[in-house]
Amino acid sequence: MSLIDDFLARWHEYRRPGYYEEFDYHWTMTVDLDRCTGCEACVTACQAENNTPIVGEDAIARGRHMQWMRVERYWEGEYPDVKLRAIPMFCQHCDAAPCETVCPVSATYHNQDGLNAQIYNRCIGTRSCAVYCPYEVRYFNYNNHHWDEPLDQQLNPDVSVREKGVMEKCTFCIQRIRQAKDAAKDDGRRRVQDGEVQPACVQTCPTEALVFGDRKDPDSAVSLMLGNERAYTVLEELNTDPSVVYLKKVDADAA
Amino acid sequence: MQRRHEDIKFADVNNDIVRSLVETGPRYYVTLAIAVLITLACFFFPWFYQLYYGIGAAGMNHPTVWGTYLASFIFWIGLSHSGTLLSCVLHITNSEWRKAMYRSAEAMTLFSLMVAAMMVMVHVGRPWFIHWALPYPNQMELWPNFRSPLMFDVMAITTYLTGSSIFIYMGSIPDFAAVRDRTTGWRHHMYVLLSLGWRGTDTEWHRLGWAYTFLAVLIIPLAVSVHSIVSWDFAMSIVPSLHQTIFAPYFVVGAIYSGTAGIVTVMFVLRKYMNFEHYITKVHFDNLGKLLLALSLIWTYINVVEVFTGWYSNDSAELESLRYKLFGFYAPLYWEMILFCAVAPLLLISKRFRTSFVPMLILSIAINIGMYTERFLIVGTSLSRQYLPDSWGVYVPSLVELSILVGSIAMFCTLFLVFVKIFPSVSIYEVKETLPAPDEGKTQWQATH
Amino acid sequence: MASNALGLFGGPNAALAAAGKLKGAGFESLDLITPIPLHGVEEVLGKKTSVIKRFTFFGAIIGGLSGFVLAAGTAVLYLHPTGGRPIITFPPFLIITYEMTILFGILATVLGFLISARLPVLRERIYVPESAVDKFAVTVACAADDDFKRATEILREAGAEEVTEITPGSGR
Repeated sequence: MSLIDDFLARWHEYRRPGYYEEFDYHWTMTVDLDRCTGCEACVTACQAENNTPIVGEDAIARGRHMQWMRVERYWEGEYPDVKLRAIPMFCQHCDAAPCETVCPVSATYHNQDGLNAQIYNRCIGTRSCAVYCPYEVRYFNYNNHHWDEPLDQQLNPDVSVREKGVMEKCTFCIQRIRQAKDAAKDDGRRRVQDGEVQPACVQTCPTEALVFGDRKDPDSAVSLMLGNERAYTVLEELNTDPSVVYLKKVDADAA
Repeated sequence: MQRRHEDIKFADVNNDIVRSLVETGPRYYVTLAIAVLITLACFFFPWFYQLYYGIGAAGMNHPTVWGTYLASFIFWIGLSHSGTLLSCVLHITNSEWRKAMYRSAEAMTLFSLMVAAMMVMVHVGRPWFIHWALPYPNQMELWPNFRSPLMFDVMAITTYLTGSSIFIYMGSIPDFAAVRDRTTGWRHHMYVLLSLGWRGTDTEWHRLGWAYTFLAVLIIPLAVSVHSIVSWDFAMSIVPSLHQTIFAPYFVVGAIYSGTAGIVTVMFVLRKYMNFEHYITKVHFDNLGKLLLALSLIWTYINVVEVFTGWYSNDSAELESLRYKLFGFYAPLYWEMILFCAVAPLLLISKRFRTSFVPMLILSIAINIGMYTERFLIVGTSLSRQYLPDSWGVYVPSLVELSILVGSIAMFCTLFLVFVKIFPSVSIYEVKETLPAPDEGKTQWQATH
Repeated sequence: MASNALGLFGGPNAALAAAGKLKGAGFESLDLITPIPLHGVEEVLGKKTSVIKRFTFFGAIIGGLSGFVLAAGTAVLYLHPTGGRPIITFPPFLIITYEMTILFGILATVLGFLISARLPVLRERIYVPESAVDKFAVTVACAADDDFKRATEILREAGAEEVTEITPGSGR
């Protein structure tokens, strides 16, 4: 009866919320809205890195854009006295993600790096994860996409091309994280150092509004940003515990 | 032709019902052919196109990733709710008026569940992998995720489909035996197999009575659980106006409501076209009408409560969602639903209305249109207005979706048309129970009963 | 020689009365073959009990246990933490348990019904097609020719429209 003994011995572990006692890494991104100009360079970089399809005019008009990283624009006030608020929005990699529990086939789960992983070839396309996500950052492949020549030559070989009927979303460029971890292992080091891995959006941001790193390293750039008093998470009241932290934009003319 | 119910003899019941099975006129074949053609042309053809092209053939878009397919799924599951559930409740409460109508009501359950299962196939993005949601492991010992509300659905609906198939079959065994003796050829062989060699001995009747009652008792909580679980597909999310505790009773009441209206429709058709005028009578319509009236009042109450609690929360997202539902893009549909499901059924207060067949038919269809709208609105309005205003959108069904909706109704009709030629659509032995026994005068068993 | 006497009656009262008389005359192996379930049978032929309820009860219990084992056991086989929940979560798994309880309860009831009602029939048994329409038949197994005569008499006295002798397997 070793099976049952084993089961009972690990009972405590199975009943622990979130299962992991501690993540190996806790990848976190901060978005400094004071630095963000809304230039959308991150959007383009993401598109190029992750083989996100270019859906075309018709699909955009029907509301079927595919942008793992999008910049939401909110206008405040009446013309001419208007202010533009730009908020980059992408998968928040919530530690209590509503999208994960709802998948009937476990195509999305929380991995040991604190990332919300999406397994494309397990996905059956119920789209319930997209409904459950309050941030609306999951994108569905309504049909197969194709890349006109020579665009098909620039597809990233490290990232799969998704077929119709599959849900996809930001992965924090998991292919880069994996490469960095492999490189660290080859060098004989135990851990990836701060600054060794950057998602495409962070790498591209001209104003360095995006900072990426391991929250478990107290000296990493991202850990230092977290202590900022402007820090907040989007839709905090929903208790999703996101891994993306925004730094509030403070208006100069505000009292 | 107009016989009084009391004048029917035992032998007449057998004759009438066997006749409904074996005597098939051209009108039946024409109807069946039309139903099959519409099913093929409006359901399977667009569906195959969608399999080839992707879900993009439907009108869904970025915020509103669920659409009419899911609304149809809830609708058909809802329609399935009155048949077996009502039959079980009336069976254990010993209602006489159940006996002439329950068989076809249960068939309605069975077939709407089948159509609902088809709607799941149409709904998902990669139906060719739908078996991954069944409880069996893949080669890496990965099983489905039993924490998912969708998995509760899979389990609940499989159980419900199994339970209601067994329930309708078990209730029909004595009738298969009765029909077996009256048929020839392939029909005879089929009924020999289906009747399992039933003879009607006192022991067999005793066992059937017990087993049937146990099944009824098991199916009542099952049916209630099925639609509350369907509601949790929505209520377990944190989408404003879906994340509601009232959703489970709301869905269960809505399901029984639309199912009862569906029974009225089916009863009308059976009565009219299968010549069951003296079995399905005004009494049945009167009783169903009363039930519908009560259900419509409960349904209206829950709707009011839903709006009120949303408004009372004063949560900005909840308020916007509510405003959008009542006055936004889909508002005409909302008020249509209120008209069909809350206002029109008040006509049922009048007994003259309840016992007139054509008005009851029209009302029952109107209620089901309203109930379909309700399901569409639950999906459409809530998903179009979620937390981030940047991701607000509007969803309009595409032609493919509308065609599949029409096709699914035709599929239901096809299944039902096949059913009425295989199953005795009015229970032979239970109708006999409601008749005076062949012995003259008040019988002993009636006196003890 | 063992044989069966069969009496056909026009109504349930006469059939029940005949069955009661046969019972009183010491015949034990009695069967009523009727088109509808009769409600006075137990008073005449003695109380019936069936094993179906045990099937239902234990089926439901086994279903409940296997439901929880299915959900919890499979969650442990391949750990995939989701949504900050534990691997073994009670509220969702209890729903699976609930559904499996009912599923197994239903299946066990069917099994219990088939076993206790001895269906499906594999050998030919005594049957009269009229009893599926409007005749109520009483069959009685008679060990000797004397018994058969006695039974026939009782059946006729009770008002049987027709009395015949049947040996199982020969049909009617």
